[in-house]
Amino acid sequence: MDETQRRVDEIRKESTELENHIIDQFIEGKLTRRDFVRRGTVVGMSIPLLSFIAAACGGGNETAGTTGAGTATGNVKPGGNVRVALLQPATAPNPVIVKDEGGAGLIGSTGEFLSFSNEKLELEPRLAEEWSPNDDGTEWTFKIRQGVKYHSGATMTANDVKNVFDTLSDPNNASNALSALGGVLSPGNTEVVDDATVVFHLDAPNGNFPTLVSSSNYNAIIFPANIDPADWGKTFDGTGPFKLEKFTPKVGATFVRFDGYWGEKANPDGMELKLYDTEAPMVNGIKGGEVDFVEHFSVSGGKALLDDPSVVVSAIRTSTHRQLHMRTDKDPFTDKRVRQAIALTLDRPALVDGLWEGKADLGNDNPFAPVYPSTDTSVAQREQDLDMAKQLLSDAGKSNFTVDLNTWNGFEIPDLAQLIKQYASEIGVTINLKITDPTTYYGDAVFGKSPWLDSVMGITDYGHRPVPNVFLTSVYASKGTWNAAHFKNATADQLIAEYIGALDLDSQRAAAKKLQELLLDETPVSIPYFYNFLSASTPKLKNAVSAATGQFDLSKAGFTS
Amino acid sequence: MARFLLKRLGLATITLFLLTVIVFFASQVLPGNVGRRILGPFADQRAVDSLNHQLGTDKPLLTQYWDWISDFFRGDLGYSLAYNVPVSSLLGNALTHSLKLAAFAFVLVVPLAILGGVVAALKRDRLTDRAITLTGLSLSVVPEFVTGILLILVFGLWLDVLPVSANAPDGSSVLTQMRYLLLPALTLVILLFGYIARITRAGTIESLDAEYTRTAFLKGLPRRTVIRRHVLRNSLLPTIAVVATQTGYLIGGLVVIETLFNYPGMGRLIFTAANQKDFPLLESAVLIVGIGFLIATLLADIAYSLLNPRIRYSAAE
Repeated sequence: MDETQRRVDEIRKESTELENHIIDQFIEGKLTRRDFVRRGTVVGMSIPLLSFIAAACGGGNETAGTTGAGTATGNVKPGGNVRVALLQPATAPNPVIVKDEGGAGLIGSTGEFLSFSNEKLELEPRLAEEWSPNDDGTEWTFKIRQGVKYHSGATMTANDVKNVFDTLSDPNNASNALSALGGVLSPGNTEVVDDATVVFHLDAPNGNFPTLVSSSNYNAIIFPANIDPADWGKTFDGTGPFKLEKFTPKVGATFVRFDGYWGEKANPDGMELKLYDTEAPMVNGIKGGEVDFVEHFSVSGGKALLDDPSVVVSAIRTSTHRQLHMRTDKDPFTDKRVRQAIALTLDRPALVDGLWEGKADLGNDNPFAPVYPSTDTSVAQREQDLDMAKQLLSDAGKSNFTVDLNTWNGFEIPDLAQLIKQYASEIGVTINLKITDPTTYYGDAVFGKSPWLDSVMGITDYGHRPVPNVFLTSVYASKGTWNAAHFKNATADQLIAEYIGALDLDSQRAAAKKLQELLLDETPVSIPYFYNFLSASTPKLKNAVSAATGQFDLSKAGFTS
Repeated sequence: MARFLLKRLGLATITLFLLTVIVFFASQVLPGNVGRRILGPFADQRAVDSLNHQLGTDKPLLTQYWDWISDFFRGDLGYSLAYNVPVSSLLGNALTHSLKLAAFAFVLVVPLAILGGVVAALKRDRLTDRAITLTGLSLSVVPEFVTGILLILVFGLWLDVLPVSANAPDGSSVLTQMRYLLLPALTLVILLFGYIARITRAGTIESLDAEYTRTAFLKGLPRRTVIRRHVLRNSLLPTIAVVATQTGYLIGGLVVIETLFNYPGMGRLIFTAANQKDFPLLESAVLIVGIGFLIATLLADIAYSLLNPRIRYSAAE
């Protein structure tokens, strides 16, 4: 027997049923190599192992993943200081309450997670070495890396992990992670089995749980149990390859290499984070040579970078999108034909080209972004069809109506609103735009006190999630707290539960397909696109990685000259 | 003078107190609550309620105001609700930055604008006058973000001779800091030159046309002596008042310039605090700006009385 095959057989003997199922799917060609690696990491298989199996089995089709996967790997000089432009965090660097990219980038500079969700949606082990589910996905066991030191010198323990997740899952702690962990993990359900093992006992089966405790949940950095999260910002005590040198609120922070790091020491000597209120000075900063890396910029704010040959732009496909909700319980959108008609007016390719310069995937009126491995790509893409739209309106008896569209004045959203208004006018629908500041639009963010959740029609922005779970439970579930369309559908609720509980990709895709088709039919929400996450670096800086959730990894970064 | 100062101090105290009341209650009109502002629209409501309770922002408004003002009188400015650091540390840093920029801009624009106004008045209705007046007026109507962007483009990017941001690295020398501040200071010079120059011009023309000036000339005094001893000290009175009123703007109103040049001054701090309903920070920051404004106008009044004996004598009476 071939040595490679023998090794594969050994691996399979030691693998769980779920892991073998994933391997089988790959061999049968049901998974691309990229999806195989992604899904494998979620259930706890290591990337080297997955890469070996992929090479050995040689199955699956290659498809394009990212359009330009970060900064190309190259030979870099040791040392140097990398200057990073980051958007201003709106809060103190308190891991429990941080809510934006700036905050995520800041605390992620020294803090580490159980795993890191990289730009390819793969989970790279960090403070957890491996993880696996029980048979029905109601328990996940994580092996905690041993001998890891904090920057303060203390040793990371399993108890620290328990403390973090008990804190994040407790409604009494002002935790911003509740939106991800609510209904998934309750306080007290994180069990320390021994120094190296933590078991999460979930509220319900969840096939994507490891992603919810990875860096994609940016509140989930592991820090010492004896530190009050409100005081964490005084020391930034973490386990990462960089440690804090100095932090000045609203200005920036400097970090130096941590020589006691458990893994490969960082290549740069240090990094400097400069905080910016808006994109324009960030763009000027990289063009003027004051920063080396812009963690994130938008097409609307960074056009000057897209056309600049002296700047290297990296684009990561994400699930970030805008939702056009239509209240299913209010006139004129109580009839799904009217909602379908509005969705059919959208020229999605034109929106992608015009608003994003092509740097976006088409949306198909459901939250299953093309970048997700669980998305069923056989579901037909909705395209503009004005004749059908008019027919649907006529059948519904709702021709020539007027409706208000509420939204806020950020990024390309006002332009999108204007275009939707224009498209709708072509089928005789008049849309009055009510564009306010974000504070007014979101209000108190509860039903009855928020234009976002109370308006008949509105546009809302949603940031990237490596899995669609939070979108499904919060936006589309009948009791979802972000359910601006007031969509109540028992079948959808059932399919959502089915999807979330599915452990293998086949089952996830099966549930996803039914959900995609149902949502396409009901169209409580129209999603025209999922746009790319853009970051920029100077040509001399290599190996700087952004992860589309605000974190970035500069540990392997360096300058070529 | 002592009575005058005491009276001004009393009025200033009342003004500042009213300012805190107005700012506090006006900020409550903004939609949303503090917990929601900090955690964002997608946070779980239970987390928002918990945070509001932790911060004390679920207490009655009058209780919150009373807690803050009683701590303030004990010298405790409190903690920023959003950043969880002492307000004094945020204010100290921002105020230092704002004062540096304001001082640098003042040093550039005041002498330049006074010179321009005086020259324009002395050359009244001639080409020089028209050029100075028209240039000043044209520049002052251009929004500062347009001027700022143009300066960044030309000097920061195309010519690459000046930094595009205003915040020099820690430990930079005075000269380096001035180099970083030059572009935002020039933006302010362009914005304020026209206004100050026009006021100076008007004051100088009024003085030149006054009877005491004619008397001085008739006495045979040289032109230079008349202008220096009689005209200027009277013509600068309105200019002093205008410069003083610009102080509040220069210390706390430069939101656009600070944002464009990524400069951590008071303007950005106040804007952020207002947005986040971070009222300990907002109140203290506004008070600082208010105090700065009152000090500037007091100094202007003192300068007024020094330059104009009539004001000094009527104050004494």
